Amino acid sequence: MTSTTLPPVHDVDRSLEPLFDLRGVNHKYGRNHVIFDVDLAVWPGEVVALVGDNGAGKSTLLKIFAGYQPPTSGTMRFQGQEVRFASPAAARDLGIEAVYQDLAIVDQLSLWRNFYLGKELVRRVGPLSILRRTAMREACEAALADLGLTRIRSADEAAFALSGGERQSVAITRAMHFGAKLLLLDEPTAALSVRETRNVLADIRKAADRGLGVLYIDHNMVHVLPVADRIVLLELGRVVRVIDRGEVDAEELADLVAASRDHDEVSSRRPTRRN
Amino acid sequence: MTVTSDPLVTRPTASPTRSRSLVIGRLARRQEFGPSVGLLVTVAVFTILSANFWSPNNLTAITTIASTVGIVAIGVTMLMISGEFDLSVGQLYAFTPIVWGILFITLRINEWVALAGALAVAAGVGTINGWVTTYFRIPSFIATLGMLFVLQGLNNLLISGNQLLAFGDHPTMVLLGSRLGELPFYMPIVWLGFFALVFWFVLGRTRYGNWTFATGGKAGPAKAMGVATSRIRRTNFIVCSMLAGLAGCMQFAYLRGVTQAQGDKYELLAITAAVLGGTSLFGGSGTIVGSVIGALLLATIQIGLVLIGAPGSFYVTFIGLLLVVVVISNVRLGRFGGRE
Repeated sequence: MTSTTLPPVHDVDRSLEPLFDLRGVNHKYGRNHVIFDVDLAVWPGEVVALVGDNGAGKSTLLKIFAGYQPPTSGTMRFQGQEVRFASPAAARDLGIEAVYQDLAIVDQLSLWRNFYLGKELVRRVGPLSILRRTAMREACEAALADLGLTRIRSADEAAFALSGGERQSVAITRAMHFGAKLLLLDEPTAALSVRETRNVLADIRKAADRGLGVLYIDHNMVHVLPVADRIVLLELGRVVRVIDRGEVDAEELADLVAASRDHDEVSSRRPTRRN
Repeated sequence: MTVTSDPLVTRPTASPTRSRSLVIGRLARRQEFGPSVGLLVTVAVFTILSANFWSPNNLTAITTIASTVGIVAIGVTMLMISGEFDLSVGQLYAFTPIVWGILFITLRINEWVALAGALAVAAGVGTINGWVTTYFRIPSFIATLGMLFVLQGLNNLLISGNQLLAFGDHPTMVLLGSRLGELPFYMPIVWLGFFALVFWFVLGRTRYGNWTFATGGKAGPAKAMGVATSRIRRTNFIVCSMLAGLAGCMQFAYLRGVTQAQGDKYELLAITAAVLGGTSLFGGSGTIVGSVIGALLLATIQIGLVLIGAPGSFYVTFIGLLLVVVVISNVRLGRFGGRE
């Protein structure tokens, strides 16, 4: 699916309007100041990785992006328009889809029922909304095949038979199918095998290649390196470094990765990807 | 019971081509397969052990018990799939016909209006159960246990040990409980078939059913995907209460009398029927047909044991053992993972 070496640099046209643009964002929980003057933009077709330790403020930024909470101060623009989300639903209406590690899929439902959950195709007969089962089954299979998820055999399969990576892929496909413009991924490869990680990263890349902006949040740079166009390092609520794939030389990258990997082996037991 | 050898444990190995041999496999993988085999085996055993098993009187006894338990179990199944329990259905099964009887026999209100009023009261009970559970976020087990005692007290207050009797051919009574011509069956079995069909359709073919599964399966993602999980739960509480109340009215219409003891332990029998039929105790999985089969199984065992000379109320011992064995085997076989 993907090469195991570093992927090529992708062309992202930053002369265009960014998809999502945070300017001078601060956030406080009561007296606890957790985000300091963060500027962060995602352009269409770009995978931006937000990397930082636990407590660096990644989740807080994710919640701001996804509409769970407005920032204490600063501005948010979506496609050039200033926005202030009242709820996650408001963010979803604009095409911002968050895919969380454990919150993606209902085990007991079949794939197509999961795929269309909350957005079912129905035929109204009096008070009943009757499911258009064949249409949904076929469209779901087509969408999954379109993304190259050939490893999924049938849309009738119950979701509990899916692996962790397949769940992520289905959730990403679903978001794309329903017109997402910005994908927010929270550690999508945590606890996945090397092979599964590769599949999920390939799906993320495909989403970006189709013009979606992707904000990929992880605690470890090693995880995001194969797919990110830009890596934003976050420390104690501040952006400390922005690494553009095209601007950093291989040696420096290797040093950063080595530092990150050492750190990972010491601080956590998550599977590490080898490059 | 052959539930232990349930073939459902094999994971679906769907292939692109659905050959003839797969048809049998698909049938065997259906959730209702285990309970169906259990019912057939039970019927076969009693047919061999008792010459009277297929007698009209016996068929009447089995089908009327199965019908009323089954209708209550359909509502309980909807509620359990959405992840909640209702322990008040047994008391409501007496309370609703008592209210109906008082309205149209004692107070001489038009019988149709009285029936509608009684069902509205049942719906009100369901509304309270659902509201208390979802608004205060307490376990439905506790909310409906409270309702059980509230209704028991009200039943006691309303007829305290007496019996409400209905004489004459009231159209509502005919509709709910009359005999089907010369057949050994009564109206409740028709209603059981009707509601089984309606809720089979609602559960599998409508958005409401899809949302019911999703709510009980994993409320977090369901809510994140836009499913109104609290509204689904509250509605299923109302469905459950109305079906229990209506089934209670059917027993009143069939027996022509109601006491406060009617529906004793029905809350547990309905849950048992649902669980024997494959409904998960943890929500997100279950079938209507399975619960109906579970109710038939309960009734068959109850009457069958009496027929072969077992002491009158010994059957509950048997049902209790069966329930525990079925749940243990289902859990061990990973059946409660749920499936399409």
